[in-house]
Amino acid sequence: MKITYNIPDMHCSNCVMHLEALEDELQGVISVDASYHNQRMVVDFNPAIISEDQLIEAIVEKGYTVG
Amino acid sequence: MTGYFVAFITGLTTGGLSCLAVQGGLLASSLASQIENEMKGRTGKNKAKPNVAQPIVWFLLSKLIAYTILGFFLGWLGSVLQLNPISRAILQIVIGIFMVGQAMRLFNVHPIFRYFNIEPPKFITRFIRRKSKNGSQVVTPLFMGALTVLIPCGITQVMMASAIATANPLAGAALMFSFILGTSPVFFVVAYFATRIGERMEKYFMKFVAVVVLILGLIGINSGLNLLGSPLSFNNIVSLITGNSPVQASSPTSNNLEGSAGNPVVTGYNPGDCKMNISQNSSTPQVVCGLNADGSGYSSSPILPGGITGTEQPPTPQNAVPAPAETQELVINVENYGYSPEISHAKAGVPVKLTLVSNNVHSCALAFVIPTLNEQVLLKPTGTYDIDIPAQAVDTRLRFSCSMGMYTGMIIFDL
Repeated sequence: MKITYNIPDMHCSNCVMHLEALEDELQGVISVDASYHNQRMVVDFNPAIISEDQLIEAIVEKGYTVG
Repeated sequence: MTGYFVAFITGLTTGGLSCLAVQGGLLASSLASQIENEMKGRTGKNKAKPNVAQPIVWFLLSKLIAYTILGFFLGWLGSVLQLNPISRAILQIVIGIFMVGQAMRLFNVHPIFRYFNIEPPKFITRFIRRKSKNGSQVVTPLFMGALTVLIPCGITQVMMASAIATANPLAGAALMFSFILGTSPVFFVVAYFATRIGERMEKYFMKFVAVVVLILGLIGINSGLNLLGSPLSFNNIVSLITGNSPVQASSPTSNNLEGSAGNPVVTGYNPGDCKMNISQNSSTPQVVCGLNADGSGYSSSPILPGGITGTEQPPTPQNAVPAPAETQELVINVENYGYSPEISHAKAGVPVKLTLVSNNVHSCALAFVIPTLNEQVLLKPTGTYDIDIPAQAVDTRLRFSCSMGMYTGMIIFDL
């Protein structure tokens, strides 16, 4: 399942790498495709393993706002 | 070994500051990304100071490796390998625009400026991230450090020419390694303490970084304009307004400009036809210009070792009335902080023998360029060098600068 989040406080491409690291850190996340230019991230995940709330929580823990 | 030691000391003294002025923008961009990332992560209980030392070290290490490899190839090639003034100017302007765009991005002026931030390809970031937890903090300064090979300062160019002259890959690599190693402490100290000062202004720090990047970007664009010989550069506008220390050319035959009146004006001359050919493998570099007395054809003046020009008079066409073989002389002193005088006046329609005099000079002013004539020369720290400038039309403004466009001057043909 794919879901797109607006991340309005991405400051640079380092933020992109920071957020994309979620694909290595969270079980059930297949891939994360973040874009600093568009201030968005697309998460491909398995809802049977990880919920949307858990995803958002992980993003917020990294210091970002989910718009 | 003495040569390597001299290269190291040159880097440690003049080279470090000179190159910092030119390449500081890349280091600032590198640090900006790092600090931005550090400050972003500094939330809640995490109050650690930004680790700015690490990206500076990565930047300098990358630069050291890149220039050592470059030295290897320069030594291997054993021939001239440098961008001409025009392409270097364009490169500099592009880098300047990139930096101004970065500053606008940091100021958050408009979302479009986000596109000035180059995102590395996904597969690379993924690879790096999985290889190193600090991937993002390493890659940017590494990349920026390697990029400095594209914008060498004047002193670096002198050293690159020396690396070519070694005609030996290992010797060329060792020479560049010694020089860049010498510049590294200066880069580190200046960059490190600059960021420490900024840290105290935490709230305004990103704005501060943006201002620095903006200024460096504008300096880069201005240097590029100088290098192009554009009248729109800041230096040229100021020089025109202030009319800084004008000096008139003198006639070598009479020392009286009135005496040279009536000389034929060479017409049909295209400044772009004039070239200075300098080959490290040749003991007699040539100045080749379209400056025959009748305005057609070419003549050449071999430059003897040591930078002295042996001027040949243009061939006189048969059945033609021989023109008075007269030139006017101009002397410009090459100094550590520019050229003196910055503005000289010369007679239109009469060739100029321009003599550049350097005396214990170690700045990038030694890399002398006349963009519109496509002439560039690396002067010796002490010595003289003659350049034959063909006759110019009335009111021609012949701009010259150091190879990075930092020091400028102009010859006005209005007498």
